Amino acid sequence: MSVNVDRPCGIFDRNYYQAKELFRTPLRKGLLALLIVAMYLFPFWTNEYGISILIVICAFTIGMLGLQIITGYCGLISIGHAAFMGVGMYTVGILQRHFGLSFWVCLPLAGLVPMVIGMMFGIPALRMKGLYLAFATLAAHFVIVYVISNWRSVTNGTDGMWMKRPGMLLGIDFQTDRNYYLLVLTITILMTYLATNLSRTKLGRAFVAVRDNDIAAEIMGINIAYTKIMAFGIGCFFAGIAGALGGAYYEYVNVEWFGLDDSIWFLGFLVVGGFGSIFGAIAGAAVWKIMDELSTLVTPLAEAFLGGMAFYASAAFSLIFYALIVIIFLVFEPRGIAHRWQIIKRSYRLHPFPY
Amino acid sequence: MEEILKSIVLGLSSGGIYALLAICYVVIYKSTRVFPFSQAAMLIIGAYVMWFCLIVWNLPVWLGFLITCGTGALMGMAIERVFMRPLVGQPILAPIVVTLCLMLLLRGVGILVGKGNIQGFGESFLPQGAWEVGFLHLPKIQVYGFFLCAALIAALMLFYDKTRIGLGMRVVHEDHVVAQNLGINVKRVFQYSWVISCMIAVVAGMLLGNIQGVGLALDANGLIAIAAVLFGGLESFAGAIIAGLAIGILQMLTISYIAPLLPGETTMMIPFVFLLVILFLKPYGLFGLVKIERL
Repeated sequence: MSVNVDRPCGIFDRNYYQAKELFRTPLRKGLLALLIVAMYLFPFWTNEYGISILIVICAFTIGMLGLQIITGYCGLISIGHAAFMGVGMYTVGILQRHFGLSFWVCLPLAGLVPMVIGMMFGIPALRMKGLYLAFATLAAHFVIVYVISNWRSVTNGTDGMWMKRPGMLLGIDFQTDRNYYLLVLTITILMTYLATNLSRTKLGRAFVAVRDNDIAAEIMGINIAYTKIMAFGIGCFFAGIAGALGGAYYEYVNVEWFGLDDSIWFLGFLVVGGFGSIFGAIAGAAVWKIMDELSTLVTPLAEAFLGGMAFYASAAFSLIFYALIVIIFLVFEPRGIAHRWQIIKRSYRLHPFPY
Repeated sequence: MEEILKSIVLGLSSGGIYALLAICYVVIYKSTRVFPFSQAAMLIIGAYVMWFCLIVWNLPVWLGFLITCGTGALMGMAIERVFMRPLVGQPILAPIVVTLCLMLLLRGVGILVGKGNIQGFGESFLPQGAWEVGFLHLPKIQVYGFFLCAALIAALMLFYDKTRIGLGMRVVHEDHVVAQNLGINVKRVFQYSWVISCMIAVVAGMLLGNIQGVGLALDANGLIAIAAVLFGGLESFAGAIIAGLAIGILQMLTISYIAPLLPGETTMMIPFVFLLVILFLKPYGLFGLVKIERL
């Protein structure tokens, strides 16, 4: 994502260092620093519930960034992202259960294993794109879920398995929710930074070129095979990390946590957030999880009105509600919240002139 | 040998429904270039509506059939008009996400209607029992279902071949712009395609509900039929029929040969492995159009 387009008036690059900066103006830097500090201080005045929401939002942000790289940057449609997140969760679970490894060793592996699997399922991407790739990832989803739920000796089948949170490191005990949140937040910031930088590297620009027109990209000398496979690999790496962090928070994984619905919501809320921008991925994840919380808040209400069928009604309403939100966004604001935010920023900057 | 023959005959009879489902994907894909994932969930709706007509309201079978088809047609019309029409001309991702979300939306409607319970048709509306032909054990539901599917497919082909609307739809299959220039209302053709496809889907849903029980799990059949569509090629009716039957046979062979070796729902998984294999070897399927792109 190029930042140049929406720069305030009068800000020019005078040297290469300035041109290479991620955040250009002092105001942006200040606001970002403020936001990060606020995020770090947040758990000290909120309760367990608030922390749990934030942890889940952070974990899903990482997953959403992965999908942003695959689908938003490289244009490869993936309907199996939740399954890759599940692979990450189960990697940690299996390594802890069978080999007794510590979380710190498991975490990078939880990224690398889905990365390799994602690259394998990304191979069909070399010969096809668009709709056909959607089928391939759909098939990947079903195969992965099948393997996880049936390889009982390793994954404990549909019963799920227990996971352990990381132990002490540098004198910090990550067993408490608050400290664990700080860890997740740190990793999220790191991954967001990685993803932001990725879009400015050679590979990231190759992703965008492949998305916009893969034949033209090939003519320009981009190795399409390598680029597409790397997009899958990096995206699934992010998904795996997200899964590991989320699973370790609940200290439990279950195959039912990453159904086809979740894969579809990943794609859907990426649209709500906005394609092709880091902010879009974060916004998508946040909107998704906040809506999740809202729908659980509504459940007692539904119970009061509907009695026995409340469980089904709330499940049905959340499906219908989410689907309608995604569809409405696609029809009326296909470029998502990120685009809306750009418009707001621009009008603020240009005030009082219309353009 | 006997086992293989048995699997093939049973697979053919259950493959009829996959062929029908594959056709209902192809109908829409050919005319609108949108792949309707939502049809998988349409099965649930069809099965539940038929169940309500027959069991809850005690209507005669023909009336239930008509009401179900009418519901399907109305829903198809509504989906096309409300959700798909604004997306004409958008990049490929938009219709994919919308149809996927529609699938979940219809699933939600299914949960709301059926309260998540699995229902049965009780005294099935197709004859029950089975024929014993030599070593073959043919459930009558399957055989009648197969012939119903064949009749529907034949009727659809006749519709495409003989009627004026069908002719117009075939032109739209070839090229939207050309069709528009020839004075064919392309938007109306899109609507017809969705109506036809949704009617086929609800009929397939009621047949499947008859065989497997009316519940939310029916959409798995729709997803399996995706493998059939892809094997046959997305643009080919003949391919859809052949591939649908092939997937049926594959499933029966899976039950007799692979299921004993592997745990779990192999009948659900093997078609997707098959799909991956097709995508690796022959991405455009048996009769699909190989797209050659240029700048």
